[in-house]
Amino acid sequence: MKNNSIVKGRCFLCAIFYLFISLFYANTIHAKASLNTSFTTVFTLQESLVTGRITDKNGMPVPDVTIRNPRKQMGAISDFEGNFKIQANPKDTLVFSALGFVTQTIVVYEKKNILVLLVEDVTQLNEIVLNAGYYTVKEKERTGNIAKLSAETIEKQPVNNPLAAMQGHLSGVNIVQNTAVPGGGYNIEIRGKNFINGGTEPLYVVDGVPFGSESLASVSISVGINGANISPLNAMNPNDIESVEVLKDADATAIYGSRAANGVVLITTKKGKAGKTKFNVNMSSTLSTVSHFLDLMNTQQYLEARMEGIINDGYGTLFENPSYDRIWPDVKNWDQNRYTNWQKELIGGTAYRNKMQLSVSGGSEQTQFLINGAYQNETTVFPGDSKYGKASMHSNINHQSKDNRFKINFATIYSREKNNLPRTDLTSEAYTIEPNAPAIFDENGDLNWENNTFDNPYALLEEDYQVQINTLIGNAAISYEIVPDLLFKTNLGFTTYDLDSYRILPSSARNPRFGFTPIDNSSLTTNSSARQSWIVEPQLHWKQDWNTLDLNILLGTTFQNQTTEQVVINGRGFPNNDLIRNISAAKSLQILEDSDSNYKYQAFFGRINLNLKSKYILNLTGRRDGSSRFGPAKQFGNFGAVGLAWIFSEESLLKNSSFLSFGKFRASLGTTGSDNIGDYQFLDSYKVSGNNYNGITVVEPSGIFNPLFGWEVNKKLEVALELGLFEDRLLLNSVWYQNRSSNQLIGIPLAATTGFGSLTGNFDATVENTGLEIDLTTRNIQRKHFSWNTNFNITVPKNRLVKFPELETSTFANRLIIGEPLSIVHLYNALGVDATTGMYEFQDYNEDGNITSLYDKQIIEDFSPKFYGGLANTFTYKNLSLNMFFQFKKQKGYNSFRAQSVTGHRSNGSVALLDRWKQIGDTAPVMLATASLNPNFFNAFSYQRFSNAAVSDASFIRLRNISLTYNFSNPKKNRMDASVYLQGQNLLTITSYDGPDPEQSSHSILPPLRQITLGLQLSF
Amino acid sequence: MKYYNKNTILKIMNKQFVEKVILKIKNLLPFLLLISCISCTDFIQVDPPLNTLISETVFKDAATVESAFANIYVKMRDQGMVSGSSGLGAMMGLYSDELDYYLNDINYSEIYQNHVSASNTIIYSWWSEAYKLIYAANDILKGVENSDALSAEDRDRFKGQALFVRGYMHSLLTSIFGDVPYITTTNYVENNKVSRTPAATVYNTIIADLTEAVELLKDSDSAVERVIPNKEVANALLARMYLYTENWELAEATATKLINTYTFESNIQKVFLKNSSGSIWQLKPDGVSNRNTSEANQFIIRFIPGQLYAMNNNLLDAFEPGDLRRTHWISNMTSSDGLVTLNYAHKYKALFNVEESMEYSIIFRLAEQYLIRSEARLHLGNIPGSQNDLNRIRNRAELPNTTAETQEELLSAILQERAVEFFTEHGHRWFDLKRMGRAKSVLEPIKLNWSDKNLLLPIPEKELEFNSNLKPQNTGY
Repeated sequence: MKNNSIVKGRCFLCAIFYLFISLFYANTIHAKASLNTSFTTVFTLQESLVTGRITDKNGMPVPDVTIRNPRKQMGAISDFEGNFKIQANPKDTLVFSALGFVTQTIVVYEKKNILVLLVEDVTQLNEIVLNAGYYTVKEKERTGNIAKLSAETIEKQPVNNPLAAMQGHLSGVNIVQNTAVPGGGYNIEIRGKNFINGGTEPLYVVDGVPFGSESLASVSISVGINGANISPLNAMNPNDIESVEVLKDADATAIYGSRAANGVVLITTKKGKAGKTKFNVNMSSTLSTVSHFLDLMNTQQYLEARMEGIINDGYGTLFENPSYDRIWPDVKNWDQNRYTNWQKELIGGTAYRNKMQLSVSGGSEQTQFLINGAYQNETTVFPGDSKYGKASMHSNINHQSKDNRFKINFATIYSREKNNLPRTDLTSEAYTIEPNAPAIFDENGDLNWENNTFDNPYALLEEDYQVQINTLIGNAAISYEIVPDLLFKTNLGFTTYDLDSYRILPSSARNPRFGFTPIDNSSLTTNSSARQSWIVEPQLHWKQDWNTLDLNILLGTTFQNQTTEQVVINGRGFPNNDLIRNISAAKSLQILEDSDSNYKYQAFFGRINLNLKSKYILNLTGRRDGSSRFGPAKQFGNFGAVGLAWIFSEESLLKNSSFLSFGKFRASLGTTGSDNIGDYQFLDSYKVSGNNYNGITVVEPSGIFNPLFGWEVNKKLEVALELGLFEDRLLLNSVWYQNRSSNQLIGIPLAATTGFGSLTGNFDATVENTGLEIDLTTRNIQRKHFSWNTNFNITVPKNRLVKFPELETSTFANRLIIGEPLSIVHLYNALGVDATTGMYEFQDYNEDGNITSLYDKQIIEDFSPKFYGGLANTFTYKNLSLNMFFQFKKQKGYNSFRAQSVTGHRSNGSVALLDRWKQIGDTAPVMLATASLNPNFFNAFSYQRFSNAAVSDASFIRLRNISLTYNFSNPKKNRMDASVYLQGQNLLTITSYDGPDPEQSSHSILPPLRQITLGLQLSF
Repeated sequence: MKYYNKNTILKIMNKQFVEKVILKIKNLLPFLLLISCISCTDFIQVDPPLNTLISETVFKDAATVESAFANIYVKMRDQGMVSGSSGLGAMMGLYSDELDYYLNDINYSEIYQNHVSASNTIIYSWWSEAYKLIYAANDILKGVENSDALSAEDRDRFKGQALFVRGYMHSLLTSIFGDVPYITTTNYVENNKVSRTPAATVYNTIIADLTEAVELLKDSDSAVERVIPNKEVANALLARMYLYTENWELAEATATKLINTYTFESNIQKVFLKNSSGSIWQLKPDGVSNRNTSEANQFIIRFIPGQLYAMNNNLLDAFEPGDLRRTHWISNMTSSDGLVTLNYAHKYKALFNVEESMEYSIIFRLAEQYLIRSEARLHLGNIPGSQNDLNRIRNRAELPNTTAETQEELLSAILQERAVEFFTEHGHRWFDLKRMGRAKSVLEPIKLNWSDKNLLLPIPEKELEFNSNLKPQNTGY
């Protein structure tokens, strides 16, 4: 172990030394080079000051245009009136460029005042540059699959997390919100599930720095409110994002090697633009409510079913016996006429969100800056004073030397989140509390326990949960052009993510009949977790243009180190409930978790790109990765890809085609991998559990040794056809892909006889994801005052288990089937309610007279989406713009038979459950009422929950986002730019699904909220 | 170094240029060499995390091996069959005729109503927790055997404890589920595909393990609280196993060893205190949470309604008049409106917030050894010896000597005595009814769904799905 740390230290020193040397070396060359330049500039023509004005085709001045004189390696920027000044001699060529306009070049000659007309950039493809991570590529010339979401789309959505803004917009990317409770997480799947038991989390890279997306929440604290899943990406203010690029195929992802099997999400933050100092203020208020309530039984319906159930169960005779009163206080002791709408009471509130953002940006040709501060405050739909606050600061400084050879970009994001929530999501309570449940407060204003017969849901509000998160992401990209076209570049990144949370359980949240006092029944659980990482990525970029052939070469290496620490402490017994947040006041402490882990990662990567006549493009990428997560023999893996593109519209035959403006065929093939399995899984280990016995600390077995633990391999193949028709007014992008993941690194479930629940190891199974993705962008109408654009995307995925040796004898035998998707479930075949017995009947496949999970679950249902996508329409009329975005998904899900209790059980349910069997001869969809006291009836009900009757269509079309913006800017007085916007999220959902929400078929999680935002944006 | 601007480059022949560039790249070679000198294998070595011990390390020191055992005893105390909140004491009390259930959790209802389904979560937790402990014991056996660092004395002590744990858990498993896999290795490949061992073989293997454990373990040390299994504990279980397998001679001999070693606790009020002289092995409460023993927390009724279980009238009626156990080990609670009075087992009295715990969860106690010997002697034809042992228990409860004389009468008297002595303890009642063949005659008249299949509980269905070698399911399920 000692040796290891010495080795570690040496490595680190080497890396630092290397960086130092390389920078030093680069600087010496710099000095020499500038000497040379100064020599060449001695012999020049007479220079003079040239002025001019830049306008668009409507005669409007265009501010913030960059004017460059390439000879002098200097430039200027146009002011608000479009005016500019620059030093030039008559032979110089000036270059005028601005975002959204076609770049113009003009030779000065003898003119002293130049009028420039900039034409708006109508061909979308030309100027779009995509971030591919280590390099950038023009949309037109890309060989890989990179889907981009721009700031424009993100800003229109009143959401908290970048993932929320992506929902539905990108083909091949399936995102589901875990919970609508603020600060929760998201599930993301890029091109389906690759691993039998593994996660689907992609690699997130923020401005070049990998950002750990694993939640550090502790199950002992927040499992009830957010499933102990807190997305670290909540730290990012969506408005700070310039673009999100999702890398999907082998060509785009192979350069990320072992971490790219599930795709890569690149987040690029905004940068300052040269020009006058610009202030931007954005204020908005959002109202959110639950969009759909269930139609539940009223008191009379409920009580009738309850009594019926008690009698059916054979407990009618015991009903009068007071010993059993605890079973049925709702029917026997409580007010039989009282009615409370618990949905309204518990999740019927309106959540408010106020957001304020201020940014300052500007700079000169050499140095630009951007500082953006944002604050937001959000409440919940629950009762009580829960709230979520987030303050964030983003800054970016960009500098380049006058000769453009040295560049540095420094960006930081700091955010602080504070989230106060009830410990438990009240949604499930809202659906299930008896409609005649007693008052929440008694006459003294204290919580009412109704003689110990009522689990008061407001007690859950006494159990505070709070989390505070600090996130810092800092990165610097330094580059120096050693000789022309040879660029040395280093990315340096640092992230730190601190999470501190606690949960309290005061004795006042317990029924006073138990006689609990703070000293014997109050507890505090705290979680302090931190994750830190640094990354150093030196690279060499070399590019060369020979008349017809362009060559780009990139070589680089990565050193990454990530440490994670977590300490979870439970303190019990406080002198009184006011001291409960102070762990030092606890009578006894128990350390539930004290863990630390270290993840180290090292790689070499490279890219060779050949572009012949802008028609034939070959892109080769590769990476050799080493990861500390693997056993000694298997630490390194090689990954690589080849991508090809043929822009056939450049062929002479098609070049002048009247309708085909762009045509490209591309294909890529390669391998990526995954090490996303947690640290130290290969060790045969014992772990300190935090308990003690008779004063002896407890250590428990925590892992089974598996030295052969190695990389997962994910082979990706893709072919695509990209077409632009009618001057690119219609862009069609169609892709077919096939991903095959083998050598699956999975938690193999083990029979309990092994003493373990599962073992992480490689399994020679192959999973295939194939699919078709179509993206269609059309500019339907382009008039002076009116335009209408449409974006449409659809994905038709298919998941299949291709190979699984000895499946029949494995622990997966009753879960997976070769040729079927991973997301299948085995279910009983429901035959409806027997008219004689009133019970659900099921097909007894092996005719043994018993319904057993082992033999009679023969029906297969698949929950993976059949297709999904989105449709966006943008209309602009003069200063008014309207955006409508529909998301759609075709899928199946568990319906309310799965989630709800049986009719007659002591919990409320939907009115559909009332249509029950009552007497012999009845045909009804629901079985006889039972109070869950008779195991026979209860079994029939629980089989139904696991039968095909509990599955139904959960497809939906949702108006995910609508936004209306009016811009007040006055062209005559354009110093101030103001706009007002109205945005709506989840305003309408079309579905036949009977549960709370089709997106996430659960009855216990707060469904997506309907949100309406009103905002004002000013910039000056 | 020369500087080229872009225009010049375009004029230079490609070949010439490439040569120059190659030269430049050569200049950069030191960097590239530097990169490769930072050996990647070195960089990605990590130390094991601070909260984790490599298994090998655990077995280099007696103290860490004791920590590994502490894990076993904590788990026995808090979860699974032995003493946790769904331990055999309460569950088999519901399943037989000791307790009534007053709530509507279906997993408990199933047990109470003798209608257990293979998906019942309680029986799954029994099964999986037991095998977890068996793994832990086997891993210690393996680790201790391969360790050179431990003294021979320590090694024997640890091996003996591990063998005892393995035997004990298998004995509970087989008495609940019948034929169960007997696991003696840590090899997960093997254990994942294991088949069931016939119950008779399971008992033989348990006896072999315990016999070895008795050899290896040391005698009890009077200075130490009896919270860690020692030789006597292994013997106590061994005597029970001989009784269950009807090996009367050895049952008598083994019980005698214990009776000669320990002193019978004559004060009925001290039987369940931690210093009771008749305790053979007890699990110490954690001292951290406010709870004391899980037995006190499960059985004591603090208000009505609010009870989970209460004592069944059949059991209450079984007490003879004047039985001190009826007065000292049973209490009752009346609801505030006075309408309901329910009885509960009050062997353990301390519930919460105990400064220093006076009660531990007793697993084996000497009274059982007397009744084992009484039964063994009866079968060996030693009627007076049998009566003597029985009377020892009766007299402590201030009951007169037994009047039973014939084999048949005495057997019933022993069963009766076991019922009133061990009620709500570790499922004794159920196992006695079952092994004496009385389950059907006693339970059929009073339990709603009684059927013969109930003698065994179903193997958890999840296990059958994971490992088809465990098929077939127990008859009737």
